[in-house]
Amino acid sequence: MEILQIVGVGLAGAVLAVFVRERHKELGIFVSLATGVIIFLFALQKAGAVLETLVQLAARANVNMFYLVTVLKIMGIAYMAEFGAQICRDAGEGSTASKIEFAAKILVMVMALPIIVAILESILRLIP
Amino acid sequence: MNIELIFQIAGIGIITSIFHTVLKQAGKEEYSVIATLAGVSLALIVVIRLIAELLTSVKDVFFLH
Repeated sequence: MEILQIVGVGLAGAVLAVFVRERHKELGIFVSLATGVIIFLFALQKAGAVLETLVQLAARANVNMFYLVTVLKIMGIAYMAEFGAQICRDAGEGSTASKIEFAAKILVMVMALPIIVAILESILRLIP
Repeated sequence: MNIELIFQIAGIGIITSIFHTVLKQAGKEEYSVIATLAGVSLALIVVIRLIAELLTSVKDVFFLH
């Protein structure tokens, strides 16, 4: 029952963060940041196993590894940007959070560009 | 899953706030600021180590080399 562990850590972290934030705003942010990172690390261990299976299946289905790795990279960028933006928003820095999200969107677009080009090229090949 | 780190950071926060209050009551404004700064730096060191661990594992899992 790992979900109980996660809920326990989350509740303990939330109570401590509220308790500390009353006295010191910046240290309260650290407590909530540490709680988030610990839960995220725990989830990431499980996600790693799932993604490894996905990569093996793709290798068996002869999917081009470049495309799969690009999709996984985009997933990683999106998760990390969301994490950082939420921490910034919790700290009351909404403008920094929006900038992180904007940069993440640009980076995802840059990552996706080769795939879009490949799709367009294959469409062009279909047109006589 | 090392929940000790959360307790550690919260403990740093509580002790820092106690130091802050005591030094303020004693009329040492300037020392209370320094005590707060020390507490924040200590917590920052712990948190930065944690974030570095997170970033390396994200890099490993999502192939972000």
